[in-house]
Amino acid sequence: MTSWRAIRLVMGREVRERSRSGAFIVSVAITLLLVAAVLFLPLIFADDDVYYGVGVVGDGNQAVIDAAVALANPPGRELRTTIEAVSFASREAAERAADAEEVDGVLMDGREIVVRGAGGEAGGALVSLLQRGARSVQIESLVASGAGEVVDILTSQPLEVRSLSGADAEENNERSVIAFGGLMLLYMAVLLYGSLILSGVTEEKTNRVVEVLLAAFEPWQLLAGKILGIGLLGLCQFVGTVVIALVGINLTGVVDLPEFPIESMLMLVLWFILGYSLFAVMFGAAGALVSRAEDAQTVVAPISLVAVAGFFIAIQAVSNPTSTLSVVTTFIPPTAPFVAPVRFAFQAIPLWQMAVSVALMVLTVVVMTRLAGRVYLGGLLRFGSRVGIREAFRSAEL
Amino acid sequence: MLELNRLSKRYGEVLALDECSFRVERGRMLGFLGPNGAGKTTAMRSVFNLVSLDDGSVTWRGRPVGQSERLHFGYMPEQRGLYPKMKIGRQLTYLGRIHGMTNTEAGAAAERWLEELGLSDRIADPLEKLSHGNQQRVQLAAALIHDPELMVLDEPFSGLDPFGVETMSEILRARAASGAAVVFSSHQLDMVEDLCQDVAIIHQGRVVMGGEVRRLKMDSPYWVIEVEMRTGDTERLSRLDSVVSVDFDGYRHRIVVRKGGDLSDLVSLLDLGGDVRHFTFSAPSLSELFREAVMG
Repeated sequence: MTSWRAIRLVMGREVRERSRSGAFIVSVAITLLLVAAVLFLPLIFADDDVYYGVGVVGDGNQAVIDAAVALANPPGRELRTTIEAVSFASREAAERAADAEEVDGVLMDGREIVVRGAGGEAGGALVSLLQRGARSVQIESLVASGAGEVVDILTSQPLEVRSLSGADAEENNERSVIAFGGLMLLYMAVLLYGSLILSGVTEEKTNRVVEVLLAAFEPWQLLAGKILGIGLLGLCQFVGTVVIALVGINLTGVVDLPEFPIESMLMLVLWFILGYSLFAVMFGAAGALVSRAEDAQTVVAPISLVAVAGFFIAIQAVSNPTSTLSVVTTFIPPTAPFVAPVRFAFQAIPLWQMAVSVALMVLTVVVMTRLAGRVYLGGLLRFGSRVGIREAFRSAEL
Repeated sequence: MLELNRLSKRYGEVLALDECSFRVERGRMLGFLGPNGAGKTTAMRSVFNLVSLDDGSVTWRGRPVGQSERLHFGYMPEQRGLYPKMKIGRQLTYLGRIHGMTNTEAGAAAERWLEELGLSDRIADPLEKLSHGNQQRVQLAAALIHDPELMVLDEPFSGLDPFGVETMSEILRARAASGAAVVFSSHQLDMVEDLCQDVAIIHQGRVVMGGEVRRLKMDSPYWVIEVEMRTGDTERLSRLDSVVSVDFDGYRHRIVVRKGGDLSDLVSLLDLGGDVRHFTFSAPSLSELFREAVMG
């Protein structure tokens, strides 16, 4: 039997048995419900009329605002969205008012919009609304003059967005949504599927079927098949969730996405694969050390802590994608899967850094697989009390 | 033929295998005997490369055992276990496939074995829904699903009821008769004597006695005389030069004597002309050989 056939058999069993199990179906349903809830709940519970105050400076603002209000209040919609324009004499005066939260944003000459911070829900929705208004104004003038490409306008951002808290914060709002949302998904997926590996390995050891399997398979084939099988399920669920989230965002307009962020999505998938592989291998080795599910928590604590640390460093990277901490942790394999995609979403990672980070990650996964395979073999056939990692390592040959 | 060649394995302070050697012939059954902790499980695991040996080798038909050889082996570990939530039909099919069968072959074999073991109607039940005895049957089917050329079974009779013991014995006999090499460990020496042509007795990691049961018995330096009579003085019997030991269970005397010794004093003492109701003169039983081998 070739190794590949052995791995495929283990993989096939994992996929078939798990995808049929109630627990898996429930977990898929819950994930999708959560995503849907995050996207649609704001709409469902938007039972108040919406009011925005916008400071205006210069000309050409009212057309944009009128168009935005018209778009926000389609016929038949009961809730009203109102945008009140407050005139200011100068840019400075308007920005002061925005900073003091007297107005929600400032529109300048119908071309530029200034909001308080990069994030913020109200700011994001307002920007999105005004962008759509501005697009509609452009299209009208285009239709009037009979020139230009409508598509360009539909996919562009006519208004330049500037934030008072950071000068280069154009598109920061959308980017941080992608980065943060992606990070959450990645973190959840890595830990969720990593812990499935853990329980799968411990289960096989607990019900002793592992000895029958190891009589036919090499230990690394069993581990690899399990990781690939659960990983495949995880990847499908992960990609599904990401796609549904993005489609949902486009449908609901909770966040204004100018274009489908296909690069960010591919990057998330890449880092899901890398991050999952590394953590799965570690969880697999940990699972082999214990005979009972109760003991499992003790051995995975250090691994979970590393993931949590990576998550918090990545949150820090959302607001500070080029800080020293962010750069350094891009090159540390356990934290890289969380930090690198965040930095990528902000386009704050040079290509060479990404390449080195991926290469280091792949190398680590390969080395860890070999080490984990050894711990796995050493631990699997020792039943009863918890096996020390050194003991497991020594009792098996590489 | 399976050959274990001077296997050695040390776990820390404990020497689990100490140049352990024996061979299992095709078409024959070998009983692997030894007190608890003698190294039986370690030796059997080493056939499946589940133990990283310090020294020695395991060969099948003269070639070192690798993954492709192991596909033709069937293994029933001491710690029984399958997937509790997996349906038994699918489970057996999977186990057939991991031993190199195609999906169709494995599915057919699973049906055949479940039929043979009287579990046809349970094929779609998860293992955990079956009674303990039926789970044991599935476990046996799991070791047999791919018609292995070598079967290694670690304490296959432990925990079986008399019917289970009978089924197991018949199946193992049939496997050996069809040309497979069968080795199993057991503490039930009478059953081993009944089933096996060959034995290997392991003690402290070393095979201290091994070979064909009949030959071992003949080569034993002792005879066993069993006699049932009304009179008979155990004290006086055991003091005779030719007598090694005497057991009296209230009915019969079981007297172990040295081969080639002068038995005339014994014979005169037995008063064979009197009321003897039973007299046998035989080779020692496997239990006696075992005790001799292990106690020294």
